Order: sequence, then C-alpha cells, then structure tokens
Amino acid sequence: MPRADRPQMASSVLTIENLRKEFVRGLLRKRTVAVDGISFEVEAGEVFGFLGPNGAGKTTTMKMLMGLILPTSGAVSILGAPVGDLAAKRRIGYLPENPYFYDYLTATEFLHMVGSLYGLDRSLRARRAGELLERVGLSMAKNRSMRSYSKGMLQRVGLAQALMGDPELVVLDEPMSGLDPIGRREVRELMLELRERGKTVFFSTHILADANMLCDRVGIIVKGTLRDVGQLGELLSPKVHRVDVLWTGPESLREQLRKDFAGGLDEGAAEAAEDAEAERHRSRSEGEHFVAHSQGEVDRFLAAVVAGGGAVVQVTPQRETLEELFVRDAGVKAEEQRS
Amino acid sequence: MEVIVGSVERMWAIALNTFREAVRNKVLAILVLFAVALMAFSLVLGQLSLHEEIRIIKDLGLAGISIFGVIIALFLGVNLLSKELDRKTVYAIIPKPLHRWEFLLGKYLGMVVTMTALVALMSLVLMAFLAVQGGRHGVTMVRAEILIWLELLLLMAVAMLFSSFSSPWLSAMMAAGLWVIGRNSAELEAFAGSPKLEDSFGGDLLGFILEVVPDFRMFYVSGANFDEAVVSVHESFVSWGYVASAGAYCLAYAAFAWRWRSSPSPRDFT
Repeated sequence: MPRADRPQMASSVLTIENLRKEFVRGLLRKRTVAVDGISFEVEAGEVFGFLGPNGAGKTTTMKMLMGLILPTSGAVSILGAPVGDLAAKRRIGYLPENPYFYDYLTATEFLHMVGSLYGLDRSLRARRAGELLERVGLSMAKNRSMRSYSKGMLQRVGLAQALMGDPELVVLDEPMSGLDPIGRREVRELMLELRERGKTVFFSTHILADANMLCDRVGIIVKGTLRDVGQLGELLSPKVHRVDVLWTGPESLREQLRKDFAGGLDEGAAEAAEDAEAERHRSRSEGEHFVAHSQGEVDRFLAAVVAGGGAVVQVTPQRETLEELFVRDAGVKAEEQRS
Repeated sequence: MEVIVGSVERMWAIALNTFREAVRNKVLAILVLFAVALMAFSLVLGQLSLHEEIRIIKDLGLAGISIFGVIIALFLGVNLLSKELDRKTVYAIIPKPLHRWEFLLGKYLGMVVTMTALVALMSLVLMAFLAVQGGRHGVTMVRAEILIWLELLLLMAVAMLFSSFSSPWLSAMMAAGLWVIGRNSAELEAFAGSPKLEDSFGGDLLGFILEVVPDFRMFYVSGANFDEAVVSVHESFVSWGYVASAGAYCLAYAAFAWRWRSSPSPRDFT
C-alpha cells in the first residue's frame, strides 16, 4: 500500500515540461505523434507509476528521459540537470523494456562492466554484483552465459544492473514484464524496499494491480497525452457508485426479488456496471448476489430479504477502482486494456 | 586529468566487454581455423615446389592472415555494433554514466584488441610452420604482419562507420567494396589519368572517389607500393618509417571517420 504518512516532499527529481516526440516515417515523411506535450514532476522519495495502455507513449517518454531518443520539443530536467549530464547519470538506474543483454557474457561479468561505468572499484563491484544477483534470485546462474537465460531471468539481470550504481532515481520500464507471480511479488517488494531507503522510483506499467499496491502517485498517459496526474486517493472518486449485496434465502424469495428488483439501471449506471456485472441478480456458490445503485434501493432490498425469511451475508459499497479510472481516462473497455 | 582517466576507464570497460563477447563467438574461431588450415596446406604445396617451401609458407601464410583477417574485420565491424542496435542491448548501456562517443570508441577499441589477438595468434602459428620447415620469421615478416594488422583496423573502422547507419549486409558489402577499390587504387588512378578519361567528368569523379576512399594499397605487402617501387617480403621490403607512416594514415583516417560519424547531433537509438 502507498505510504499514508509520506512526509511532505521536498524537491522534484524529475521535471518534464511540454515534452513532445514526433516520429517521421516512410518515403512520404508521414508524421506520428507519440508523445504530445506532456508535463509533470516526480518528487524525491516517491514511487510514481506511469500508466497507460499499450502504445500510449510510456516507453517513448522513458527513452527521451534516458537520452536514447531526442525529443522533438520540450524540456526535461533530471536531478536538476539536463538529459545526458554525466553527473546526473551516475545517480540514475534504468531498466529498459524487455531487456536483452550480451549472449556470451555471464551476469557477473555484465554487472562488473556496469559497475566500471559507474566508476566503482573492483572490490565494491564484486560485492555489489554478488548482493544484487542474490537479491534478484540469480545467484545460482550468475556464472552462466546470458544466452541461456529465460525472459524472466533477463528481466532480473535488468533489475540488478539498474541498481548497480546505487542510484537515487530508479527508472523502470515495465519491470514486471515477463515475470511469474512470485517474481512480480519480489519486484514489488524490491520497489518498496527502495522507497524505504529513500530512493525515487519512476516506473511504467499497464498492470494496474501493481500500480495500486505500489504507487504514491500515478500519471495516466493515453495516446501520447497525459490525462491525469496525482495521488490515487485524489484521482479516484470517493463516491459510492454501487453496493453489492450477498444474501441467502429460499427459491421462492429469489424469484420474488428478481421480479421486484428487475431492471431499473439508468444508462450511466449500466455502463459503469458493464464490465463488473452484466446482470443485477446472480447466483453464486456463496449465495445470491445483487447490485444496488442507490441507498434507497439497498434499504428496500435488505428489508425485502429479511421480510421474506432470507439472511443478509454481506453488504459491500463499491467505490471507483484504479482500473475504472484507467478505463475512464483511456476511453476504452477494461478488457481491451488487460494483457 | 581525472576526467581523462575516467573516460579511458569507461571506454576500456566497453572494450573488454566487446572483446569477451567477440572471442566467445564460434564464428571467429572457425575463421581462424580456416586461416590455420590454409597455412597447413602451404606445407603440402611447398613439397610440390622446387626448393621454395619457405617462400610458399610465407606467401600463403600472409595471404591467409590477410584474407581471413578481412573477413573477420568485416564480421566484427559490421556485426558487433549492429547487434547492439538490433537486440537493443544498447538501451541498457547508453543511459549509464558515459558519453555516446565513449561507447562507440570503446566498441572500436574492443574490436582492435580482438583483432590484435587474432593477428598475433595467426602470426604465431605461421612462425611455428616456418620453424617446422627450418625457415626464419624475421623483422620483414613482422613488418608485413603489422601492415596487414593496420589495414584490418582501418577496414573495421570503415565497416563500423557503415553499420552505424545501415543494415549489416549492406554495410559489409559497402565496406568490402571500398576495400576492393582501395586495394586497386593504383590501377584506378592510372585509368582516371588515361587519355579516355582525362579532363572528363568521369575522370574527375573517379579522381575524387580515390581521394575519399581509404588507400588500402598502402598496406599491401607484396607488389608495387606508393613510390612505384616493387616490394616483397622475400627481397626488398618497407622500412619501419614506412610502417609508422601507414599507422599514422590509419589513425588519421579512422579519426576522420569517427569525427564524421559523431559530428551531427546524436541519432535516435530506435
């Protein structure tokens, strides 16, 4: 869970102003706008989730921040310096999306090289490489050439190399990609550990459950445009938009209530409920499930259940989830966002 | 001073990485084995000659180092950088605390170390074959091997220059094309100055191309050289001064190629 008692953040480690990237492709010089004038800041010590559907511009933005591609316009300041500043680069760790490393090198050799680029001496390189490979669960394969690594193992090497310089700012492009559920949990723990150590983590993902568990703040990018930036608590609507009632009772009561509480969904409510429940009444193994869309309806339904000899098992008010916010921002159905 | 030391250390880290990656590639080992096989074949050919065993071993040995060296130079120059771009390994390196030119120069330095090791290895094998036949691997042979080595370094720089903006196959073909032109620059110069082309656009164009294309003939260890003198590792051969001047030319041309590569704003690594 994001830290509720997070101290007031002092300074911005990453400032992006009107960042724009156009790609020119083909003989006809067709222009594609990948990132369209986005602006936001990442504060020191926070975990910032950069969310967006596939092709939204997350990786392009990260590549611009890391100096891999040049922005068409706009300004970026990382740790108070422009992109490419060597002193600032020493304080940044970066994991690219779907990382691939040298076939014939071992993970240990590769981390040694990365340590050399950070100016670490041999003993510190050896110690840190060993610790990090142990931390990401690769110590058993540390002396094998990386051509024999699976996608998940390469992702773990990617995480280790991003942390080799003990950076203040860790930029991770889809860090959970290619990992199994255990690996994902380990990465989440690693990111939380980094935050506890005062590091700033800026990561992109389209796995909303991860963002929900990790982020102090999120930015949502859709089709190159930043739709929302802020703390999850601020962005998510506090309004209860439906109440789920779980109850049990005889067959006759079920039929009666289905008749009495049929339909009644207005257009907006129906749309909101579309991906959660296609119908208001459903039979489940633990009992009957009913979706109410107003407090009055909840009261009337509960009274009817009790009066008919049924029992109420659970009443759950549902507020907006990150997924619903994401879908609202992206303007597409939730199913299309999942991968 | 600290800045220079830091820069050299970073380039060396990339170079060492490149060297390890290159020498563990089986393709290189196979190419070196072919060169050694050619030298071994020279022993057989030597038996067929009339008391010219040593000459045959020297000629075929140097030819083997040169021919397979050219193939290795094209393979390394084209492959190592384009593989970085194709497989996007460069994405993890460029954001590290180093300049782009340090990365590119580090890659080249790694190729130079690899080629040096391979040429030294092939020369040692040649020396062993000569020793078996009772021959001597003297200073002349060392000079010849250094000239071949310099030629290969220059070819790698050219191949790497092409591979930074073109596909591997096209880069290899263009670099090989330049090598063929460069090796035959004397004939092309004579052709450009011939009555047919003299004062014509074609002649001027050919003259311009010959000015731009690296002069690989300078490193040719058998035949007419710059001053029209015929040189041979068996009789007269170039001086250490000539070897040094060829080295300076190699460095100057490689530096020019690098400057040309680095001067525009850095390309997107996409």
